[in-house]
Amino acid sequence: MPLETPVRIVRELAGRGYNAEQTAVTLIAGADDPARALERVVDAADDDALRITAEDVRAALVDGTAAAPSPDPEHPSTSGGIEDENRQTESDIDSENSPVEAEVSEEMESAARDGSAVGPTDDTGGSDATSAADTGASGATGAADTGNAPSAADAAGRTVDPSLRSLEVSGDITGQSTGTGEYGDFVKVFRDRYEKLSKQLRGRVNHRPAEAIQSMNGGSDAAMIGLVNDIRSTKSGHWLVELEDTTGTFPCLVMKDRDFAGLVDELLLDECIAVGGTLSDDAGIMFVDSLYFPDVPRTYSPNTADREVQAALISDVHVGSEEFEADAWGRFADWLHTEEAARVEYLLIAGDMVEGVGVYPGQDEELDIVDIYEQYEAFSEHLKDVPGDIEILMIPGNHDAVRLAEPQPGFDERLRDIMTAHDARITGNPSLVTVEGVKIQMYHGVSLDEVIAELPEEKASYDDPHKAMYQLLKKRHVAPQFGGKTRLAPEEKDYLVMEEVPDVFHTGHVHKLGWGKYHNVLAVNSGCWQAQTDFQKSVNIDPDVGYAPILDLDTLDMTVRKFS
Amino acid sequence: MRPEDERYFERIESRLDEAFDRAERAKAQGRDPEPEVEIPVAKDMADRVENILGIDGVAERVRELEGQMSREEAALELVTDFVEGTVGDYEGRAGKVEGAVRTAVALLTEGVVAAPIEGIDRVEILENDDGTEFVNVYYAGPIRSAGGTAQALSVLVADYARSLLDIDEYKARSAEIERYAEEVGLYDKETGLQYSPKDKETKFIAEHMPIMLDGEATGDEEVSGFRDLERVDTNSPRGGMCLVLAEGIALKAPKIQRYTRGLDEVDWPWLQDLIDGTIGKDDGGADADAKDGGGDEEADDSAESDGDGDETEEGSERDGDAPDSEDDRPAGPPRLDPSEKYLRDLIAGRPVFGHPSAAGGFRLRYGRARNHGFATAGVHPATMHLVDDFLATGTQIKTERPGKAAGVIPVDSIEGPTVRLANGDVRQIDDPAEALEIRNGVEKIIDLGEYLVNYGEFVENNHPLAPASYVYEWWVQEFEDAGAPVQALADDPGVDLEHPTPAEAVAWATDYDCPLHPDYTYLWHDVSVDDFAALADAVDAGRVVAAEADGGVVDRAPGDGSEADRAGAEGDRGRDADALVLPLSERVASALEHLLVEHTRREETIAVPEWRLLVRSLGFDVEGGTLDRDWTPEDLSARAHEWDDGESALEAVNEVAPFEVRERAPTRIGNRMGRPEKSESRDLSPAVHTLFPIGDAGGSQRDVGEAARFRDDQGRRGVVDVRVGDRLCPECDAHTFRTRCPECDAHTEPHYECEECGRVVEPDESGRVYCDGCEREVTSAEWFSVDVGEEYRDALEQVGERESAYDILKGVQGLTSADKTPEPMAKGVLRAKNGVTSFKDGTVRYDMTDLPVTAVRPSELDVTAEDFRELGYETDIDGEPLEFDDQLVELKVQDIVLSDGAAEHMLKTADFVDDLLENFYDLPPFYEVDEREDLVGELVFGMAPHTSAAVVGRVVGFTSAAVGYAHPYFHAAKRRNCFHPETKVWYRDEADEWHHEPIRDLVEPRLDDPDEDDFGTLVQELDGDVYVPSITEDGEEVLKPVEAVSKHIAPEHLVRVETRSGREITVTPDHRLCRWNRGIEKVEVTEMDAGDNLAVPGDPPIDDITATDALEQAHADGGRSSDTIVTIEYVESDIDHTYCLTVQDTHTLLTNRLYAGQCDGDEDCVMLLMDGLLNFSKSYLPDKRGGQMDAPLVMSSRIDPSEIDDEAHNMDIVRQYPLEFYEATREMADPGAVEDAIKLGEDTLGTDDEYRGFDHTHDTSDIALGPDLSAYKTLGSMMDKMDAQLELSRKLRAVNETDVAERVIEYHFLPDLIGNLRAFSRQETRCLDCGEKYRRMPLTGECRECGGRVNLTVHRGSVNKYIDTAIHVAEEFGCREYTKQRLEVLERSLESVFENDKNKQSGIADFM
Repeated sequence: MPLETPVRIVRELAGRGYNAEQTAVTLIAGADDPARALERVVDAADDDALRITAEDVRAALVDGTAAAPSPDPEHPSTSGGIEDENRQTESDIDSENSPVEAEVSEEMESAARDGSAVGPTDDTGGSDATSAADTGASGATGAADTGNAPSAADAAGRTVDPSLRSLEVSGDITGQSTGTGEYGDFVKVFRDRYEKLSKQLRGRVNHRPAEAIQSMNGGSDAAMIGLVNDIRSTKSGHWLVELEDTTGTFPCLVMKDRDFAGLVDELLLDECIAVGGTLSDDAGIMFVDSLYFPDVPRTYSPNTADREVQAALISDVHVGSEEFEADAWGRFADWLHTEEAARVEYLLIAGDMVEGVGVYPGQDEELDIVDIYEQYEAFSEHLKDVPGDIEILMIPGNHDAVRLAEPQPGFDERLRDIMTAHDARITGNPSLVTVEGVKIQMYHGVSLDEVIAELPEEKASYDDPHKAMYQLLKKRHVAPQFGGKTRLAPEEKDYLVMEEVPDVFHTGHVHKLGWGKYHNVLAVNSGCWQAQTDFQKSVNIDPDVGYAPILDLDTLDMTVRKFS
Repeated sequence: MRPEDERYFERIESRLDEAFDRAERAKAQGRDPEPEVEIPVAKDMADRVENILGIDGVAERVRELEGQMSREEAALELVTDFVEGTVGDYEGRAGKVEGAVRTAVALLTEGVVAAPIEGIDRVEILENDDGTEFVNVYYAGPIRSAGGTAQALSVLVADYARSLLDIDEYKARSAEIERYAEEVGLYDKETGLQYSPKDKETKFIAEHMPIMLDGEATGDEEVSGFRDLERVDTNSPRGGMCLVLAEGIALKAPKIQRYTRGLDEVDWPWLQDLIDGTIGKDDGGADADAKDGGGDEEADDSAESDGDGDETEEGSERDGDAPDSEDDRPAGPPRLDPSEKYLRDLIAGRPVFGHPSAAGGFRLRYGRARNHGFATAGVHPATMHLVDDFLATGTQIKTERPGKAAGVIPVDSIEGPTVRLANGDVRQIDDPAEALEIRNGVEKIIDLGEYLVNYGEFVENNHPLAPASYVYEWWVQEFEDAGAPVQALADDPGVDLEHPTPAEAVAWATDYDCPLHPDYTYLWHDVSVDDFAALADAVDAGRVVAAEADGGVVDRAPGDGSEADRAGAEGDRGRDADALVLPLSERVASALEHLLVEHTRREETIAVPEWRLLVRSLGFDVEGGTLDRDWTPEDLSARAHEWDDGESALEAVNEVAPFEVRERAPTRIGNRMGRPEKSESRDLSPAVHTLFPIGDAGGSQRDVGEAARFRDDQGRRGVVDVRVGDRLCPECDAHTFRTRCPECDAHTEPHYECEECGRVVEPDESGRVYCDGCEREVTSAEWFSVDVGEEYRDALEQVGERESAYDILKGVQGLTSADKTPEPMAKGVLRAKNGVTSFKDGTVRYDMTDLPVTAVRPSELDVTAEDFRELGYETDIDGEPLEFDDQLVELKVQDIVLSDGAAEHMLKTADFVDDLLENFYDLPPFYEVDEREDLVGELVFGMAPHTSAAVVGRVVGFTSAAVGYAHPYFHAAKRRNCFHPETKVWYRDEADEWHHEPIRDLVEPRLDDPDEDDFGTLVQELDGDVYVPSITEDGEEVLKPVEAVSKHIAPEHLVRVETRSGREITVTPDHRLCRWNRGIEKVEVTEMDAGDNLAVPGDPPIDDITATDALEQAHADGGRSSDTIVTIEYVESDIDHTYCLTVQDTHTLLTNRLYAGQCDGDEDCVMLLMDGLLNFSKSYLPDKRGGQMDAPLVMSSRIDPSEIDDEAHNMDIVRQYPLEFYEATREMADPGAVEDAIKLGEDTLGTDDEYRGFDHTHDTSDIALGPDLSAYKTLGSMMDKMDAQLELSRKLRAVNETDVAERVIEYHFLPDLIGNLRAFSRQETRCLDCGEKYRRMPLTGECRECGGRVNLTVHRGSVNKYIDTAIHVAEEFGCREYTKQRLEVLERSLESVFENDKNKQSGIADFM
């Protein structure tokens, strides 16, 4: 579902002189073809109306052609949520497409929409068997040649040519951890962060070191790249952002009435940004005129594979927990053996293979398997259900028996010996995995909790975990904020920086399914295989259990399959 | 009131008057801030209640009801008055409910806290979904100060009023129920609850609560799930509601139940499920309902269906009904379910004495020893020694039942422990001296002996009665019932009813058909039927050998101590000196051990000297020296075999023995050590002799002598500029800071001149001084150039002393009272001379742990019968004239016993007071004491910390125990205060993790089982696994364990201190910070001034591993780091609570990067009466409100038993518990069931007997038996303590050492490790040179402020300090795989973080 569509819809409506209720917007966004729905709504709207209400939208949509199914009544407003759909096709378009990107996005768009042409699949025998119910799908706007690849694949079943495969890993801490917990290690890691990220920003502003700015004359123009050291609001409601570089700090004032003031809400401590502006008369402070994130270029053109091949992106299996959904996993593994899954040649797991031990107090009472090694053995057994020719890669998560501090190295020898099935690739968290040319940034996602907690709900929430991921992409760092929930192990360099722009960003941890594209980078948070725990119940989190997003590596088109 | 009581009080009051007169005369001289004594006498409670509520007629009604019923009952009674409109003037129904609820809370809190006004916002009547009406009570945060019981009862009162007004019950919507659960959870997380109900519990309560609990939002955080509900105004947690629900209803369910039972209109049947704790364990309320509601029936049914002889059903309810008749007996004995709550959060160094209800643990015996009161437990002194001295008089233990914690008291009239020595001998030790003698040879403590708990303790906790041990006091009543001539036997000198000979025991049991005497009743329920049979077989194979023939080594082993003596004595009474010799087998030996049969072991045999009743109980005939039995195990009935699943041989015994045998010790009580006892003088730090300001001139020691000689920049000698109160002489209009005009000797009065406009302001009626023009408070403080030298010389001259009379005279740097009135320095001179120091209010104090005692022997108090007669004691407890020192005398309610240390301190104080009277006031001396005996009869003030009321007590004697014994009625309630919740403290938690978190986060999660006082203060003792950086007087930084955490009702004002480098701390006004002045001084914050230097942590503040670094740096710095105060100001308190820690030894901790003193301990203190009258002045107290805590603002000259805390009322005061009580315990009846049969303190309230007749059931030969100090205090490091703890756990049969090790790891080491690792990976850093702190490591690497070296605050050493110990302990004690794996995973994490993958060869040692 187009995730940034609501924004577009609002703009569109505003352009036509309408205000709209939040629900109305989501209703439109949730329609099969938002563009058409919007047209219909506008057509139907009373000429005097200034505000489009949910009522209006519903009326307009019902009045509309029968060809357009009405929004799923139960989930009228979930963007990205697909609870009831059996499968759904990724059809996100970067909302801020500019004409320059037209070519790319055109391609993307058509590719994306093709998914819906694929015939119905029902792997679960679950409630809704028809793809007609696929209300979330973005409507058939025409078939293209690539989308129906899975069903068009050789009916003969899995034909695998390992020689065609390639899977490379970079940015893996495993075996490279040289930090010894000294003060100097910490300094090094932050300096490395600054160097790597400031490089990304050099082109945007003419950086002057903090020390230099301190000695500049009042009123002169200045620009600085720095790590966010402190964010305060002033009495008058402006924002004071203290930036730090390797020479010192400088306070930068973002006036509340600047149009980019809202960006301050998105700032996390210790991320790297660039600002440009004017020094105050006493040269004690900089009035910010512009603010930049390292970000992903809008025109970013993702890499794709040269052949029709798919990767399954899953995470948070939690074997050993009483809540582990073995049945769903079984269905998933079974499905991988079917024809339909013949092109799935990679399985990428973003952490939390097992439930672990001692993760929270009294955990032993809620464990199905109390022994940590037996948990991994059980996991390994479950992994054996997956076709033997699938290439598997996994990174650890916060429940796994490795250090919690990030970057987390991959499993140690003892655990590797247990998980021998499929000769899986084991790498650290995070790792940048290049699968047949497609760069997939794997990260377990502990920092998402913090991003969601710190940022306003509309920018990051548990219901839309991918939005939180957009923020990380924008900051080009998987866990910027130090000192909060995320734990940092000091190393020689900052493994948490996304130095290269990934084509796909894959996380887990929050147990919610969500995906979308940010500047053409596909962000996927892939749900879990553990039913709602007591803890989640207590905080009213309803996890998305038993989903497997399947990524077409040649088109970066994604299909989510449900196995619960 | 009886005439003798009247005489007693008059006696006290006449001495009080005498003192008052003398003090008034002294004060009238005008040398003090006020020309009169500043401690008035308090009014009664009814007045306080009415005043706080402002509802007319309440006081009168309260007084009326008070005599007739308890305060809780009165609260309920008043509901009727409110509903009928006879009290209060309320229009609507909501108003009536509101009035009733407020009054109830006021009544229950004795009108001393603001909860009834501020804690209840309003009451509304709203509509249910079905159109009926319900009552909504809107609580606010301050309800906390009411305490759980009052909170819970407020709901009950509302419900009662509701039912009287015929309003329907609240029917919660399901979203609301869920909301309650989420909200309580959130509140608990954010603010913390002393009891955290499980979600299921909360929902269960919400579902059944007939009243809607609502309230104001008290936090910023919002619930994430159930938001925007129609009937809930806010998305934030409603603190008041959460408190009432969790700490009130959930926690105090048993208490509420006591009252719901008495009300027909109110019925809360669901409380039972809460009490049973089945909610949250079972699947839900419905199940629990079914199970519990049908509990009794089920038991009956199963018994019936089982048929008569055919009791084959296994696993019948252990807690089934007690046997009524043969037919429907259950298949097992009555037992309460074990509870392991007290073991929670076990930490290193505090041993476990018994696992829940484990055999070998303390055996519950009912009774009240004379030193028993509330929350006390009687333990045999021999046991105290045998548990390696971990228990001493006053040591607190956490216990399985009936309450949560108890203070240990020595009682030697109960049975002592039974031990197995290294040579295999098993002996019961009933003599502390013997215990000490054999202690080193003890291999196993088979049984800890008896544990005396009084019935009242069960009443207070509303805990079902646990089956009683079969003891003499029970047996003798049964014996009498059976028709025995008990009185005649008791009078017969040849018969010892309590310890009869075997022959007598057999005869009595058979002749009168009475159960066997307890002395010979062995613990058959602790051996299985199989073991029983094996033992019988062994007896078959055994033979009786005369002691002499046996070589004389068996029975009469030399040095056998008391046992031998007793055997000898009994031998004289006709006992045959022989022994039963059995072939040695482990099984037999262990069966004998479990039976607690004394025996000796030799190479191939076991000899049992006291065998006659043993073999008879085993069904043997002892005729003619041969042992025969006529049964085989096959002959035993199925019932005997199946009884308690074959684990108890009791039924078997009863089938084969010729007499009835009772269960000897059915209830075992597990417990572990809590906090050690205390007795020490309360000194400010550095000690202060005079509250006279000398600025910085006195150096770090605040040496007045030094200040007098000090020459300032302008060359003035001995002159300092300080702020002191400007006073005006009414006679000659001279301005001075002195309280007496130097010109004309008239008493001066404070002169208030507005600093802004210069207008002179007069205080208004309430004492407030306010400039209307400038709209500001005005104080009289002004800058004066005080010639300290002259003051000093004058002072010396005035009292005729020389400087050589003492080492040093310490003053204060500055004054912090509003008007900064200095104390006459001469008082300080005399204090210094007599070796006492002043508290902030001018008094001299001594702290002691409270213990109750109701009857004493003059001899044990180191006084004589004559002394006692002079005190007005005429008779002993039996009414006999008091003639001998060892006669037992009932203690009068206001008489107290001082510890040795306190007595010594009081002596010095008395000398000081006399000096003061003679030399300063020119009056005759008052005390004239030479030795401590002279203190007997003198009056003291007793004060609980952080209260503001003193109680007059009279010294009657002394004890070597490190506690303050006094009548239970004397011990008052307690209240404390301290840090602002946001104050950040460094601490290392149980998991050895370092944290730097708000103190609230340290305290709240640990308040899991706190003691609570009437003022709402919660205190939780910790077991010393939480450490904080601390600083000694020499400025040495050390890590010290936190002994207790506490949470207090916040005062109205706090003090905020800001330092040059931006450090900031907000504390209560009486809080002390560490001032640095070439030494550490703990100075109350209110006595500090801008410019004072505060001690700040030198270098990595908390790391003992890097302590070497720290030392180096400290040297490099050439001393301590310090930081200067820039501003110090009073701020309006915006919080409900403050928090504090009790830190061992140093009593300091690191907070907000400053060293600060903790608040004062939680012991009551005493001060000498005359000292208080003469020297106390409100003018010395800091700030108006907070500073007045701990100050004797009022005093009670006589105790009104009705007005004291009602836990004292639940003390039983009888000499013997009746037979029906013991029978009721077998039915595990509710304590209320026998309340009529046993007199409690509350039964005598308002009668003539309210001050007397506190009988006890058990005596003890001395109230100070056992070790004087707990080993916990004498052992050095935490590791030593832990080693001792684990060693002891191996020795105790009732303790599973693996579990202890497991818990120590789980609750101490693991949290510490995990926490520190977490802290490491998100730590702050600090500049070693200037102390500047950085949230994140600066990119520059060095300090941005000073360019200095920056370093970590959490180092590797502090993170992995315990890992090796933990792994070692886990291995050695065979901990669970799960635990070991957790440690393994952690160890690898540590390696991963702290070791270089590419340089693996380096071991941890390289970095240490």
